[in-house]
Amino acid sequence: MVTMTQHDTESPATGSDVLVVQDLVRNFGELRAVDGVSFRIAPGETYGVLGPNGAGKTTSISMIAGLLRPDSGSVHVAGQLMGPRQVGPKALLGLVPQELAIYPELSAAENLRFFGRLQGLGGAELRSRTDEVLDIIGLSDRAKSATKEFSGGMKRRLNIGIGLLHRPALLILDEPTVGVDPQSRNSILESVEALATEGMSVLYTTHYMEEAERLCDRIAIVDSGRIQAEGTRTELIRIVGELDEIRLDGSGDIAAAAGALERLPAVEHVLTEARTLRLTVREAPTAVAGIVNAAGQAGMELADVEISRPDLESVFLHLTGKALRD
Amino acid sequence: MLRQLWTMTASDIRLRIRDKSVPIFGLLVPFALIFVMNLVFGDTGDTDLDAVTVAAAQQDSGELGAVVVDAVTEVPGIDLTVTDVPASEIRPLVEAGDAQLGITVPADFTENVTGGQGAQLKLIQGESAAMEVGILTSVIEGVTGQFAAAAEATTAAAGLALPPDEAGRIAQQVIESEARVSAVEGRTATEQLGAGASIVAGQAGLFLLFTVGFGVLALLNERQQGTLARLQAMPMPPGLVVLSKALSSFILGVVATLVLLTAGSLLFGVSFGAPLTVLVLVLCVVAAGTSLMFIIARVARTPEQAGVMQSIFAIVLGVAGGAFFPITASGPAGMLLDLNPVAAFTRGLGISAGGGGLGDISQPVLIMLGFAVAALVVSRLVPDRGAAA
Repeated sequence: MVTMTQHDTESPATGSDVLVVQDLVRNFGELRAVDGVSFRIAPGETYGVLGPNGAGKTTSISMIAGLLRPDSGSVHVAGQLMGPRQVGPKALLGLVPQELAIYPELSAAENLRFFGRLQGLGGAELRSRTDEVLDIIGLSDRAKSATKEFSGGMKRRLNIGIGLLHRPALLILDEPTVGVDPQSRNSILESVEALATEGMSVLYTTHYMEEAERLCDRIAIVDSGRIQAEGTRTELIRIVGELDEIRLDGSGDIAAAAGALERLPAVEHVLTEARTLRLTVREAPTAVAGIVNAAGQAGMELADVEISRPDLESVFLHLTGKALRD
Repeated sequence: MLRQLWTMTASDIRLRIRDKSVPIFGLLVPFALIFVMNLVFGDTGDTDLDAVTVAAAQQDSGELGAVVVDAVTEVPGIDLTVTDVPASEIRPLVEAGDAQLGITVPADFTENVTGGQGAQLKLIQGESAAMEVGILTSVIEGVTGQFAAAAEATTAAAGLALPPDEAGRIAQQVIESEARVSAVEGRTATEQLGAGASIVAGQAGLFLLFTVGFGVLALLNERQQGTLARLQAMPMPPGLVVLSKALSSFILGVVATLVLLTAGSLLFGVSFGAPLTVLVLVLCVVAAGTSLMFIIARVARTPEQAGVMQSIFAIVLGVAGGAFFPITASGPAGMLLDLNPVAAFTRGLGISAGGGGLGDISQPVLIMLGFAVAALVVSRLVPDRGAAA
């Protein structure tokens, strides 16, 4: 694991961090879904967990939210040990599960009031918070409509609103934009940005690099149940050093070209995506000519060549040898 | 914690009423079925006996001949006319249908019985009113059985060389004495509901197994629609979610069953006895049904599977409990039938309808509560296949 953060996850939980996760392990039969995950979230911080499907993000979230007991390791929320039977720390969390968790027969307002009561809200406070949250998620004008009549994006926004209702110390959003149209997705991201601005701590899991880059103060890159690297965007990109990315689009013998390019000394990784080759290379401006020649000689007919600076996807490719959407 | 429990319970009940599942399957369908079954079978248990005419030729001047005819006239429930006719007219009267039963008591009947020589009554049965004639014939056979015992006593006395007067007195005593050993009509006779009440009680017992499913089996819907995870993340003990489902099932089951019994009583003119006794029986059978649903909630992977299992359990227990027609068995099968909570419920209502109170329904109550406890234990032991899926 490459850790760029200043936090020391080996130390015991303290009251200063909203969340302290230490050495979480969870197995499902032979499969180790989560393998020694540790991180901390400071008050007001938005922390991202970036990884492909099946990386162990949702299993980690389930243990953090007290839905699943870890085989080993611990979770502390504001200094309180979390577990399935712990009531106190659960009151400090607002969970937005990956799957929609709303009652389709109830209206938006009824869903909010129901979960608000379970969170301990009542009376005037519950009414005012319901109105506020409906406003935040942009559903005030549909407050009394049954949610089964809502679009996917509206349901997603209500799903998030329920997590916000009781002003949690830590809001956990597990892939909240999966299956959402671009407009609703942008609305969700703006809502999360607004909450972060107000000082709410957020744990955000996603497999969309752009979301992690846009929202998160720090990011953990996870794969195969482990944190491969953790830090700010700048710190993570520093991992790949001076490496750049070159994209080659074209036709012909793509596989032969990929094989030829892998043998070039300037090329670190080659990833084939249909008719595109994505290369992680050193000194791209000087290496690009040799790369184009080698691809042409291997039988690839180039249609486009693009050089770009590394991003989180490049980091993921560098660390795991595969693309985020694999 | 109680506030959270009630919030979930009330929401469940509201949802079930709002989606009309409880009003339809807990009340409307069973009530329609009760109505139809009452139309078809409702009168079968209230058979009226036909009037019977008995042609009697009393040729015996002794006391025993009169006893035979008197015994027939004292049979309750039958509108009986006894006509004294000469012996020669009996067969023509019966064959013509003017009398349904002919009795000829021979002239030396009393003398022969008390003398230990045996005697014969002559009975002629007509083709109509077979049930009524069968009852009368049974009564006469009972009386003649006593006479046969007297004849045997006389013979035995003669064998002991007792004087004839003494032997005759013994025979008279045998005839006039009450049976030393007799079968007393027991509780089972008073546990039987009439046809109409049986249908109402059986259908109420059957459909409550559907009604209680709306609460407990909602756990599977919660899991499928993702809300179970959110509920488990709420600041409350994890068992509270399951408890709320049990409570909503219980409330829905009790209300639906009481409404069915009350409406059935009023509309079909049946009575189930003291309200408190009926309430205790309803609480117990709903507890048993609710516990059974927890087994299904654990074993079923999806709400669809749960629905199929629920239907199978409800139909099997309902039919075995007499929801459509009475079922009896002996031996191990009979014991299994007795352990069925629907059967225990119906039997309890029978006791209550017959005037029994709380102290009289202890056996069916214990069966239903025992079933509830056993089902809960089993539900904890079987794997939670829905969670594993």
